[in-house]
This record gives sequence, C-alpha cells and structure tokens, in this order.
Amino acid sequence: MTISLAFCLYLSAALFCVGVYGVLSRQNLILVLMSLELMLNAVNLSLIGFGRAFLPSAPADPSGPQVFVIMVLAVAAAEASVGLSILLAVFRKWRTTHSGEIDLLKG
Amino acid sequence: MDAIVFHICGLISVIAAGIVVTRKNPVYSTVSLVTFFICIALEFLILRSPFLAVVQVLVYAGAIMVLFLFVIMLLNLTPLELKEDVSRRRKVVAGAISVALFALLATAIARSPTVRGAPDLAAPLAPGPLAVAGETEAIGVALFTTHALAFEYSSILILVAIVGAIYLTKKRRPLRAGLRPTGLEAQAPGTTESGAAPAPSPEARRAPALEVRASP
Repeated sequence: MTISLAFCLYLSAALFCVGVYGVLSRQNLILVLMSLELMLNAVNLSLIGFGRAFLPSAPADPSGPQVFVIMVLAVAAAEASVGLSILLAVFRKWRTTHSGEIDLLKG
Repeated sequence: MDAIVFHICGLISVIAAGIVVTRKNPVYSTVSLVTFFICIALEFLILRSPFLAVVQVLVYAGAIMVLFLFVIMLLNLTPLELKEDVSRRRKVVAGAISVALFALLATAIARSPTVRGAPDLAAPLAPGPLAVAGETEAIGVALFTTHALAFEYSSILILVAIVGAIYLTKKRRPLRAGLRPTGLEAQAPGTTESGAAPAPSPEARRAPALEVRASP
C-alpha cells in the first residue's frame, strides 16, 4: 500500500473546503475562528506533502517546507490571539458573539 | 503500515473537521478540533516531519486550544446566546460554494502531470542530508541561516500580536484629574466606560466576573 501525493492533496483540499463551509455558514465568531484554523492546517498538510514528494529536487534547502509551515504556524498563533481578544472586546461592548449583530466598527 | 495509518488519520480528520463546523456547542467543536490537530500531527509524522508533529501538538493542541477553551469559559454563553439563526438558504449556498471549490481543486489535482509523476510518499529515503530534512537539527540550521530574515519578521509579528492582544483586552478607564487609576477598584456592574445603557439583569449578573477575570 502506498501514499500517493494525490491522496494527500485531495485530503488537504477536502479539509480546506470544510473550513470554508464553516466560515461561510456559522454565525458564532468562535466557530469562525476555529474554521480558519482548519483551513490553515489543511494548507500545512499540502505543503508538507509537496515537500516530502519533491525533496530530492531541492537539495540546497531540504528543510524549506518545514520552515514554511513554521511561519504559517506563527501567523496562526498571532491570528488566534488577536482574533480572540477582538472577540472579547466586542463581547464586552455588545454582549454578543454573533457576526450578524456586529455592524459597527467604532468601539 | 504507514499508508494504512495515514489513510485512517485522513478519514478521522475529515470527520472531526465536519463535527467542528456543525456542532452548536463550541466546547464540542473544541474537543473535535483537538482530535483533528492530533490526526494532522500523525500525518506529519508519517510524512517524515517529526519536529513539526511535536510542534503541532504543542502549539495547536496545547496552546491554541487552551486559548479557545479559555475564551469559551470566560464568555460563559447561555444556550440562548449560542442559538444561531442561520437560514437554510445560507447553509445551502455555503455548502454549494465549498463543494464547488473542492471540485475545482480536485480537477486541478487530477489533471496535474506533476502530481501524477510524484513518487510514493511512504517509500523509505536513502540515508543522507535529505533523509533528515524534517528533523530538529536541519530545521534549526535552515531557520537561522537561510531563512533568518523570515524568522525575524515572524518574531516582530508575534510581538505586535502580543501588544495588540493586551491592548484589546485591557480595561479602559477614564483618567480623572489628580487621581491615578490603581487598577484595584472594582467596577460597578452594568456600567461601561463609554456610558452605554445598563445591561439587562441576566447580563448584569455576569458582568462583574467577566470584567475582573478578563484582565490578564
């Protein structure tokens, strides 16, 4: 039994699309942030799959994909912390986490 | 063996992702998200990236999940507040968009000669520098030599994120003349700094606890 790159990419695409569905269909902002994490992880999976498949064609920088994923991870951590603190600030002001009810930017 | 585990993990991760986006209660979604992250970590391990697998468990399943759970517990949403009035039409449109996106991506993957000509991902690697590309030492060397600039940029990004998170969650108190804020006096329940109307009783009951615990 083998792992094909195509399977890895199909899996990544499926997870990304589940995340897209979550972002589009949920109103609770916590769930929207979680769906964003799903999408970032799906992209990481495809990066690592590509890196593993085409490793011998990049002998100058074999750890490139891993470094790329670490950068995505740093962005994800920053996004989660800032997103959740915006959520807290919004909840304190309006007592809601529904995306439809937050229609003013001014705090 | 690797391939079997990879396929099972892939299946579990898709199911877990589906549970994340469909549950009403965010705590169930969080637990399912932990399952998803652990499956992704196992897949990284099978794709010869042991360092990233460990980082995935530490950062995602550890730190980010604790952050999400912390916020869910802090907000302490009632079932009434969790209720979403998403119309059926919106769900159908969202589902159609994501299915269309998947169809597009799947077509691109199926037609790509690069993907078709790719080697087996489960095949063993010949010993050498390429075989250890996913291990800690190789990543550390790459991160601090080839990608040092990107590393510095990411450190600035995280610094800005820390400052932003602290600024957004701290209480804003009006500075009165001759009186420095000590940060110790408790705020009256139901009143906000901007002079908003007092909250109704169920919210007012919860307000002081939220205000006190929200400051890091």
